[in-house]
Amino acid sequence: MSSTAIPVAAGRAARQRGPRKSAWVHRRDRRGLWFVVPFLVAFMLFMIAPLGYAIYTSLYTTRIIGGTAFSGAANYTQALQSHDFWSGVIRVVIYAAIQIPVMLAIAFFFATIFDLGVAKFGRLFRTIFFVPFAVPAVVGAVMWAFLLEPQFGPFTHAANAIGLHGLNFFSSSLMLPSIIVIVIWEWTGYNMVILYTALRSVPRDVVEAAILDATPLWRIVLRVKLPMVRPAIVLLVFLNVIGALQLFTEPLILYYFQPQAISLSYTPTLYIYWTAVANAQYNLAAAAAVVLGLVIVVISVGSLMFRRRRSEAR
Amino acid sequence: MSASTLTRPPRTRGSATESRRERRRRQRLQERSDTIPLKLYGVRRGTVTFLTLICALFALFTLTPIAWLAINSTKTQANLFETFGFWFARPFALFHNFSLLFQNVDGYGTYIQWLGNTALYAVLGGGGATALAAFAGYGFARFSFRGSRALFYFVIAALLVPISSITLPLYLTYAKVHLINSIWGMILPSMVSPVGVYLMRVYVEISVPRELIDAARLDGASEIKIFFRLALPLMVPGLMTVLLLSIVGVWNNYFLPLIIFSQNRLYPLTVGIGLWAQRAQNSGNAQLFPMVVIGGLVTIIPLIALFLVLQRYWRSGLLLGSIAN
Repeated sequence: MSSTAIPVAAGRAARQRGPRKSAWVHRRDRRGLWFVVPFLVAFMLFMIAPLGYAIYTSLYTTRIIGGTAFSGAANYTQALQSHDFWSGVIRVVIYAAIQIPVMLAIAFFFATIFDLGVAKFGRLFRTIFFVPFAVPAVVGAVMWAFLLEPQFGPFTHAANAIGLHGLNFFSSSLMLPSIIVIVIWEWTGYNMVILYTALRSVPRDVVEAAILDATPLWRIVLRVKLPMVRPAIVLLVFLNVIGALQLFTEPLILYYFQPQAISLSYTPTLYIYWTAVANAQYNLAAAAAVVLGLVIVVISVGSLMFRRRRSEAR
Repeated sequence: MSASTLTRPPRTRGSATESRRERRRRQRLQERSDTIPLKLYGVRRGTVTFLTLICALFALFTLTPIAWLAINSTKTQANLFETFGFWFARPFALFHNFSLLFQNVDGYGTYIQWLGNTALYAVLGGGGATALAAFAGYGFARFSFRGSRALFYFVIAALLVPISSITLPLYLTYAKVHLINSIWGMILPSMVSPVGVYLMRVYVEISVPRELIDAARLDGASEIKIFFRLALPLMVPGLMTVLLLSIVGVWNNYFLPLIIFSQNRLYPLTVGIGLWAQRAQNSGNAQLFPMVVIGGLVTIIPLIALFLVLQRYWRSGLLLGSIAN
């Protein structure tokens, strides 16, 4: 096929002596823009423009008397000095630092088991593990709120039965671990599927060579397979960091069930939500959203850089 | 993208004449031949039993909340709190609870309407996202117009922007352009999926050969015709994955509809159930508790069904895996 296409194109290019591309290719490529335009229009209108407007809004302050006036960095100063905002940021950072490694370890463990085929009913288990991905976070949080409820929840009863009396999963010290369990329940299967796919694409001969060298199985997994799926792990860390730092749905639903256990600034996104919706401080909320966006970009890109440097050093 | 993704033929693509059973059998055989026999690893039988047991434990953890939801959707409000959570109780109230989903019990909206709204938002938003991503992914993969690279990286950079940071700006913008309490305020932003564009670009690179397109051009086919007749059929597995991901994304979205809708007839399920949970707990409408439970169950059934029907698309993890490689 290429034997017919390329000489013609090359012949035309030679005749017209275009610098790099022939005019034909050039015109054709310009038509490609039309495939991209519909998406770009929607992208500009519903992503870039609102972001721009939020930044603009964050530079103004609206007062009941006096209307809206330019206030420069005042909203940013207020957001940056807000104890509520920062305690939320610190909480989600701690949350991400625990939840992501634990979840990825579990996901990698099961992906390895399914990849090696060292457990029975692998296909069935893979399907089961993926099921929570189909459960909206709202429904997931509602289910767990019932299960962990401090008075009638079955898990509380179970804890009492094994001698842990007075255990309250929604006390201020156990709330974050409870949320971590909920999110691990929701997302492990999805991460497992991605890691499983990556493990499947490790070339078979590499593993066979390791087997011939009589390498023990755990070494094959940790020293041969793990390094080869590092790109997948880096991607998952990156995506999970972005997701974890904007934690919102689970704490808000749990707040409905246990208002005393979760403050309205439990996470930065909750803080933004309450600032905008309940307090109608739109300018401040916009500034906080911009700050949170920047924090997330810095941390997620940072996690990417850190990983890359470490893998290069090896 | 490593060489292995390219050399490995997309396993999900079967010939049109192949029946479902044949395809499954072929996939299973392929999977078996891809797996190195256990004997070679020197794994003992006891180890296999032990690891199967661990898998079963995690499966139990995974299914426990869903089993709880299914069991308790058959209970009356009193039994919901007073009986053992993991077994059934009399009276059997499943059908009564289910019928409540068609009524406006506390004057704050009807479940069945929210279900319809969610389906509408998911189909239009997810379908739109897939269509836009298919066009754009193809455009970025197979044309190099001026600035195409820069534009593509610009779109990819948007992956960094957290959804929650875009939701409030959308709300502020909607207040200016009168899109608050408009279904388009929900549907249109759902159509913007930078991840979808990225995935489709990767998929086109793998599955639509340049030579094929060039040959069609020499035959005088227009670019639009080439896209619809030639490229699109080859892109179907990728399209299904993007469609699945974006439908789930819209179906699960909570923050955006929560903030832009104030009329309960526009709510999607997530906002409606959240509202019920809040009112059941804080406004003394305890009659809503059984409705929250059965509402949750009815919410997840269509999605689980969708996943089981389309499992060959997500199970192969083709696209998800190819971004990672």
